[in-house]
Amino acid sequence: MKALRLLSAIAGRLALCATLLQPAASQADTYEVKLPPELATAPRMCDYAPCKDVIPGATTFSERKGQPWYVEAYKDEAGQKKLLGYVMLSTDITDIPAYSGKPVVTLIGMDTAGKFTGVKILKHSEPILLLGIPESALVKFNNQYLGKFVGDNIEIGKSRPEENLIGLDAITGATVTVIAQNQVMMTSGSEVAKQVGILKPVNRPQARFPVSTATPSWADLVADGSVQRLTVKPEEVGLKSDGRPYMDLWFGYLNQPTIGHAILGKDGYDSLMGRLKEGEHAIFIVANNSMDSFKGSGFVRGGLYDRVQVRQDKDGFTFRDLDYVNLWGISAAGAPAFNESAIFIIRGKSFSAAYPWKLVFLGNKIDKETAAKTFANFDREYWLADKYLEGGRPVVVKPDPTWLKVWKDKVVEIIAFTALLLVIAAAYASRDKLVRRADRKNKWPVNAFKYTGWVLSIGFVGFYAMAQPSITQVLTWFHSLLFQWKWELFLSDPLIFIFWIFIIVTVFVWGRGLFCGWLCPFGSLSELLYKIGQAVGLKRFQFHLPQALHDKLKWVKYAVFFGLLAVSFFSMGLAEQLAEVEPFKTTFLVGLFNRSWPYTLFAGGLLGLSIFTERPFCKYLCPLGAALAMPTTFRWFGLKRKDECTSCKACAKGCGSLAIDTKGNIDQRECMLCLDCMVLYYDDHACPPLAQERKRRDKAGQPLTPINGKGYFIPIHPAPANTKKEGAAA
Amino acid sequence: MSTQDIKHDDQDMVPGRRKFLNTAALAGLTGAGLSVGLSACKQESAPVAPQPGAAAAPAAHAGAAGELNLHPAPGQLDTYYGVWSGGHSGEVRILGLPSGREIKRVPTFNIDCMSGWGITNESKAIIGTRADGNLRYKTGDTHHVHGSYTDGTYDGRYFWVNDKIHGRVARIRGDIFECDRITEIPNIQGFHGIFPDKRDPVDQSVNRTTRVFCGNEFHIPHPNDGRDMDDTSKYGTLFTCVDAETMEVRWQCRVDGNMDLVATSYNGRLAAANQYNVEGGAHYEDMMSAEKDACVFFDVARIEKAIKDGRFTTIGDSKVPVVDGTRGANKDPKTALTCYVPVPKNPHGVNASPDGKYFICSGKLSPTGTVIELAKVEAFLDGTLDDINKSIVAEIELGLGPLHTTFDGRGNAFTTLFLDSQIVKWNVDAAIKFHAGDKNIKYVVDRIDVQYQPGHISADMGETKEAGGQFLAVGCKFSKDRFLPVGPLHPENEQLIDIRGEKMTMLADHPVYPEPHDFVIVKREKIKTRQVFNVDDFPNAVKDPKESGVFRNGNKVTVKLVSQAPAYSLREFKVKKGDEVTLILTNLDKVEDLTHGFAIPKYDINFIVNPQETKSVTFKADKPGVYWCYCTHFCHALHLEMRTRMIVER
Repeated sequence: MKALRLLSAIAGRLALCATLLQPAASQADTYEVKLPPELATAPRMCDYAPCKDVIPGATTFSERKGQPWYVEAYKDEAGQKKLLGYVMLSTDITDIPAYSGKPVVTLIGMDTAGKFTGVKILKHSEPILLLGIPESALVKFNNQYLGKFVGDNIEIGKSRPEENLIGLDAITGATVTVIAQNQVMMTSGSEVAKQVGILKPVNRPQARFPVSTATPSWADLVADGSVQRLTVKPEEVGLKSDGRPYMDLWFGYLNQPTIGHAILGKDGYDSLMGRLKEGEHAIFIVANNSMDSFKGSGFVRGGLYDRVQVRQDKDGFTFRDLDYVNLWGISAAGAPAFNESAIFIIRGKSFSAAYPWKLVFLGNKIDKETAAKTFANFDREYWLADKYLEGGRPVVVKPDPTWLKVWKDKVVEIIAFTALLLVIAAAYASRDKLVRRADRKNKWPVNAFKYTGWVLSIGFVGFYAMAQPSITQVLTWFHSLLFQWKWELFLSDPLIFIFWIFIIVTVFVWGRGLFCGWLCPFGSLSELLYKIGQAVGLKRFQFHLPQALHDKLKWVKYAVFFGLLAVSFFSMGLAEQLAEVEPFKTTFLVGLFNRSWPYTLFAGGLLGLSIFTERPFCKYLCPLGAALAMPTTFRWFGLKRKDECTSCKACAKGCGSLAIDTKGNIDQRECMLCLDCMVLYYDDHACPPLAQERKRRDKAGQPLTPINGKGYFIPIHPAPANTKKEGAAA
Repeated sequence: MSTQDIKHDDQDMVPGRRKFLNTAALAGLTGAGLSVGLSACKQESAPVAPQPGAAAAPAAHAGAAGELNLHPAPGQLDTYYGVWSGGHSGEVRILGLPSGREIKRVPTFNIDCMSGWGITNESKAIIGTRADGNLRYKTGDTHHVHGSYTDGTYDGRYFWVNDKIHGRVARIRGDIFECDRITEIPNIQGFHGIFPDKRDPVDQSVNRTTRVFCGNEFHIPHPNDGRDMDDTSKYGTLFTCVDAETMEVRWQCRVDGNMDLVATSYNGRLAAANQYNVEGGAHYEDMMSAEKDACVFFDVARIEKAIKDGRFTTIGDSKVPVVDGTRGANKDPKTALTCYVPVPKNPHGVNASPDGKYFICSGKLSPTGTVIELAKVEAFLDGTLDDINKSIVAEIELGLGPLHTTFDGRGNAFTTLFLDSQIVKWNVDAAIKFHAGDKNIKYVVDRIDVQYQPGHISADMGETKEAGGQFLAVGCKFSKDRFLPVGPLHPENEQLIDIRGEKMTMLADHPVYPEPHDFVIVKREKIKTRQVFNVDDFPNAVKDPKESGVFRNGNKVTVKLVSQAPAYSLREFKVKKGDEVTLILTNLDKVEDLTHGFAIPKYDINFIVNPQETKSVTFKADKPGVYWCYCTHFCHALHLEMRTRMIVER
């Protein structure tokens, strides 16, 4: 028995060893492998390369064609050859070196729509992938390209949808490798895409410069935009501030003679221009007092500067060591001090200084425990001023920012939604007229608007437009206010944006009830269910929690709110997950039946409960409601009360929100502005003081004068003239 | 810069500080007292911190004009290149200035086992070999380094340096700081001074260096083949012109007396050499006998016209045309090729002022400096000035043992006084006025002690039109107590002196391995270097790893190799004992600074190949066995693994 156990233990160990060895063996898969020499030259490239692996379904391949080379991939379809896409060998197109100083030989597949279908590394020389990072990391990195369009802006770092930028996760410890790889992928893909007509070739005419006359000072150069500043705060890369910026760069374009002379002086300018061939461009970058280096150290071995790039539209330009020239100093009077400087040479043919371009800084945040890096891009646009270009700046049709595109796309919804909000607001503003028309039995003058609001909120705003406001937006604001306010972020969803303007305005004017009670899609759905329940005869099962219990439980939502807010400062991600306490996402955005059962159960449960008790979620859990309830304290216009309300319980009894306390005060923070109590306010059969007065006058044979704005019959005065006057006025 | 800023005692140099002192003193007097003083103090230090969000803090650090950063912070660069001769170490050295950090040594006339200079076939071809393939010379003595000119200032193309021992001139390429040509000058010994011209004297439209002039110090028989050895009257010296591009010797000119230092005029017409041995003496007491020696001027265009007209001879085997520049043959100034300006006694040094007007000779054994006005020398040669002595516009006392002079571009000259161990700063215009009779004028501006016994002196850009007047370097021949002793041999002491103000300020001592003579200080903007080589520049390059292999032709074997970190293209290669092996190595790595080495144990071979460079060595495979060739120049994480086996079969 014992022996058996020992044996099995040994077997287990062996198995473990085997699994440990496996990745080790596969690590060096393509490290410095010997590639068939024909691969580089043979017309039938795919005889020597696994082309089928990068374009699934392809059966035959053409010979190498084009300039630079690529091959076409075909599949047989009923005996017909159908073009599936293209396969290219990276080294046919670009020789961008990676960390080792040698290119990563990559086979790339792309379909006819310009989407990457496969990426396979045939050979690499990256010691870093030999020494510590598994080669699978590079494979995993490459897989991120699959399905992505070659014409997209794809960069290492975080995605920035508001700028149409698709981010890729980098490999910690192999930044140079992945930056080079990204450059290889995008350059190779777009070179071929341009040849086959997927992408329009970019042809930017080169800038021509007027003769240098003035010698601008540094301040002049800053003023006319000839030098630009790119600053990255430590918080933006997750570091603690020590008073210095994480990165504080000044940069500018040097070929322009006036700027070049101002920065470099005559000797320096002439010397630099002497180095440049036709179509090459020089920029300078200086940094001072920054926490980190913009050069990094990637260039030391492999030759690539991994922290700065230039981007012009979709064309990216990286710099290698041979593209670097010392910047001796800045001649311009008043130039800032600097402790790091560089001149980089842009050698790509497509770059033109006549058009805007960006300096991109790739920052990274290092987790001290795991040494894992996350990357973030920061950029700053540069465009030579009119006076520095012969004929001024060319006309550039810039694509609308995404937010603007969305607004244009949704113009109908935006108009309809805005109309809805205005109508509801107008209706509520005229509530005095509406409630006077209504009475305890017929509340339709009010409810017609409210129920319309509900139905449109649920159907149009909630399910169709998915514009359910959420606590996460409040959290985002808090963070934006504290750290960085980006209009683009909020503008990216027009209905939500408009909704929030409406909410903020109405909260301070009337209180949160107009949104919560009339327009919140989930709240509307919740109360509508309650009303339907009432209508279909479930009234006897419907209940309110006892006021005392309610008064305790209503604080829970505040706790939920502050809990989320607190969590959000540690982790926005976690806060967003916890914000699932709102069933909104399940109900409207994803759909009750498209989520896993706990979510469905939670949302469904709340909605089910809503049939039997009015707005349980709104009353006790909703963090958004809590967030809006607090400023509601400062609303301008409250609901009307009478002196008798302190002792009369008539309204309180009918208050679905349980917002009226024993002293008759309305808790504005709980009130849904259903206006039921306002209907009673003018109803001489329902409001006890009014009913009493009506009865008294009936008995006394006195006429029932109109009810004034304070909810009382206009008193009958001895002077008839006066009575007439007042009555007319009322 | 702030803390390293050079503070002067001189008030004009630091107006801010002076103002502050005034403010503080005034504040104290008026009784406003401490608080005002402190606030003034605050104002003084405030600009150091950049204003947040402000467009610009004042430029500091990296090289705004007029700053001398003796101690660049990590990452900061020097503002000047110093190109230094190495004396009898045979090399040239490149320094960063004003820090004085040595950046590179350029092996030239010496053998260098780091780079393989004198070991590779390519360097041997430049140095020159005998019929057996061995180097003709292994020694050299570099004295003077001067750069090529365009428009009166350095253009960074070339630097030339002499070898006094064997009479050779070497050219250093300014884009790679490596020697690319060495020319041996025929029929001379003691090649001392050297200077490139600044403008073509024949074609004035060529406003750059086309010729290099060489002074000849020692008298020898012509030809020196065993004749006339005991008859010193038949010895002679030759002034030599070398073509700047082809490095061929264009012509030589026989003169009376000898020549050491050389200067050239900015307009290209004149070259001159000072002469300390007009006597033609063979022993020093003979050389010192005359009270006046001379500075000999050459009218370059006339010499070349004479050669064109066939008025030249040749000496021995040399094909180089030689013209006669002796006094006897040049009696009519209007046709003279040369003229001799008398200079007192055993002068040393002739230097051209940046304004292009004057040459200044130092007396050495006479305490005087002689200012020669070039326009008057030209007038003499044109026949409009009757007496060459009238070209001497000043002959003034400077101190004991004046040797070399440099300039600040503001009208001042700085002359080393070897015996006084001093530098004297004097105003040229004032000296001329003094010489003309205004005895009240003070031409000496300042003197400063140096440690010890200075030879050459050179200010930033001092021998160009763009003399900067920031600082100068002085090569002191003795350091004695200035450095940690390392035995009887002491280093020389190169000192840096601030010359921005009226008074000179000593900035720094730098020990140098013997024995730099002369040097030039070049603004960094003038230098444009290559980052990697161009593989096509090497006719024997192995451009593809597939071309690697062992190629046999009888017992002559060529081994072709490439290096790509971390490997050579052949893991081993076999040759046979007795083969004459030529190994060609191309470094195909393109990454900047990725240089590889190649050493063969027991075969006395090591050399380096820079990125995209090709070098070769030839040796006899006379020892059978296995020889691990390895990379000696750190290249890669797998540097130690970068090896190949040379297998020499029995």
